Amino acid sequence: MIVIKIGGSSGINLDHVCADIGVLAKSGKQIVLMHGTGKEADALGEKLGHPARHVTSPQGFTSRYTDRDTLEVFVMAACGKVNTFLVERLQKLGVNAIGLSGVDGRLLEGTRKDAIRIVENGRQRILRDDYTGRVEKVNADLLRALLERAYVPVIAPLAISYQGDAINVDGDRAAAMIAGALGAEQLIILTNVPGLLRNFPDEASLIARIDRNRVEASIDFAEGRMKKKVLGASEALGLGVKQVIFADGRVEQPLQRAREGKGTVIE
Amino acid sequence: MQANCPECEAEITLDKPMRGEIIVCPDCGAELEVTSENPLALDLAPQEEEDWGE
Repeated sequence: MIVIKIGGSSGINLDHVCADIGVLAKSGKQIVLMHGTGKEADALGEKLGHPARHVTSPQGFTSRYTDRDTLEVFVMAACGKVNTFLVERLQKLGVNAIGLSGVDGRLLEGTRKDAIRIVENGRQRILRDDYTGRVEKVNADLLRALLERAYVPVIAPLAISYQGDAINVDGDRAAAMIAGALGAEQLIILTNVPGLLRNFPDEASLIARIDRNRVEASIDFAEGRMKKKVLGASEALGLGVKQVIFADGRVEQPLQRAREGKGTVIE
Repeated sequence: MQANCPECEAEITLDKPMRGEIIVCPDCGAELEVTSENPLALDLAPQEEEDWGE
């Protein structure tokens, strides 16, 4: 069982990724695919006159401020476009993919944070009416039922709060929760860089191996969104996932290369 | 602009308060949220964890 996360940034070659998923699925491997939405949600927001607002937390993590209007745009991009067309690509390759978001069947459940702390112009402040949250529970029975019938679940990064609100969640950490809940052998996180870089953006400074006990310390090397991927890796390992790999999603056979150890392997 | 700390009642003066801004009470150290600019109103700031949105 492999959980794969594809980032929502530009550069990832979906033809190569989907072709590789086809190879793995046909060899009998159970696969769950989680995707990001960042670039598409930004583009759609611009077209609709509601551009994204990215905010920075006191801890230095960036994320999308998601009021109700932003959530609508996010859902349109995540479930409407990205998810459906990923399923379409896989179906063309003979992979019986099924599109879901974490809202469906309460697949991903968590706490909505209606107020978040941000840093703006050096001052801390509270933003309210936010529809973001953190995944705390995974409906593993639903995923297992699909996997046993040879479906490949393709999951958009939304969850449902305990009160029933759809919420925007971090896809990397959601993928980590799924991998942990399913007891996955591997979590492969594909990005538009070769892995975790010691000196970002110098791709020659790739860190090839990280001991599972050193993963939290390695967050110091992570820039921007890579910080959450490292955090997700740490959580996945803590939940019993044997191996987490950050790998290059721009190249041919990205999953086979990752499984051969090309990228940053954390175990 | 003046208001009292909801934790220790200390008088707090702010020059240019911004709604939603978090300040620290100089007397008791409590983190306070500016809930209104004029008149100035302060409440204890919610202790939120990290924001985990995509």
